[in-house]
Amino acid sequence: MKFVDEFRDAELGRALAGEILAGVEPGRHYKLMEVCGGHTHSIYKYAIDDLLPENVELVHGPGCPVCVIPMGRVDDGIALARQEGVIFTCFGDMLRVPGSDGSFLDAKAQGADIRMVYSPLDALRMAKANPEREVIFFAIGFETTAPSTALTLMRAKAEGVENFSVMCNHVTIVPPLRALLDSPDLRLDGFIGPGHVCTVVGARPFEFIPADYGKPLVVSGFEPLDVLQSVHMILTQLAEDRREVENQYTRVVPYEGNLKALEVLGRVFELRPHFEWRGLGFISQSALKLSAAYADFDAEERFSVPGVRVADPKACQCGEVLKGVIKPWECKVFGTACTPERPIGTCMVSPEGACAAYYNYGRFSQEREAV
Amino acid sequence: MEVLKTDEERGLALCADERGRRETVEIALVDAAEGDTLMVHAATAIARVDGAPA
Repeated sequence: MKFVDEFRDAELGRALAGEILAGVEPGRHYKLMEVCGGHTHSIYKYAIDDLLPENVELVHGPGCPVCVIPMGRVDDGIALARQEGVIFTCFGDMLRVPGSDGSFLDAKAQGADIRMVYSPLDALRMAKANPEREVIFFAIGFETTAPSTALTLMRAKAEGVENFSVMCNHVTIVPPLRALLDSPDLRLDGFIGPGHVCTVVGARPFEFIPADYGKPLVVSGFEPLDVLQSVHMILTQLAEDRREVENQYTRVVPYEGNLKALEVLGRVFELRPHFEWRGLGFISQSALKLSAAYADFDAEERFSVPGVRVADPKACQCGEVLKGVIKPWECKVFGTACTPERPIGTCMVSPEGACAAYYNYGRFSQEREAV
Repeated sequence: MEVLKTDEERGLALCADERGRRETVEIALVDAAEGDTLMVHAATAIARVDGAPA
């Protein structure tokens, strides 16, 4: 397929890996964070890290939407789903995320009307087809997915659909990155920037990373050659003592982002004062809620929600995985008590979660194949 | 996804993915025409892929 096959060319990949190997400084350890869970998935699906020199380490960031949802929000969603007359809808990934007393799938098995949708538009269609029921959409995702929720809400308002509402869990990527950069736990040399988020917000919001923290960031695509080229661009910046935001993903990402999408987001959402992130705690202005103009569609305003904060299970180390402090295989329950079939932590649920990527592509230990 | 047909009045397009699976996509946020390749998230096009070299 156009724009896909040419970015999976094995010969070009090997050549790029050779250039990376030739460019690294022997004896220096490079630690690069791929922010987005989509990159984590690609890296292990295509074994990209096996093509990198041993002194180039990839650390996985907090950019997996399912992984960062705290247990308390799942509990709140289940409480909504159990209310009389409600059809509760969410993406498939969310169904298996454990709350403190089971997942959405467990609640469904116990009788709650919980249905998987591929988009918020599906949930709106469901509301129109079931006017006697209340249809709630559990919205998750970064700036990539938020426009879809926003457009659906605008449609619902324009069409006067009154039995549709949204429990909003949309989050924004810049505040957690700043929190990570302020963390003493982590020393990073550069960032593989979140290409899909940048499609909407552009590259400009990431300029604080070189400006305030002296680290390069390269906005990257998701095919194997995209990721390899981005690593090469970061290492080149470091070798040339430059610290900039560069855009590798020019075929999709305009530097200023999608202005129509930003306008829609600004109309439908406003920033929450703070929001809890799994493993990262409460982060100021890091999530979205519905604006006053759309408050009638806010499920948390329309229904009673417990809003109780729930601590993660002690055995689960998703927090450290999300901060890049440990690798998935270092977690005590990875691959034993916690598997994709029976996840304990969120990182084992979504294909974009680091633990699921490691598990699904057989990364059970530190060993890497030689370049 | 590749645009097969647009319905500009409703802001929707019929698109197909690399395996030929078809889906209705919101195109209110992009300028889309038949034959374009779109970046789609949750049934909403957020960018048009234009093939500019990296």
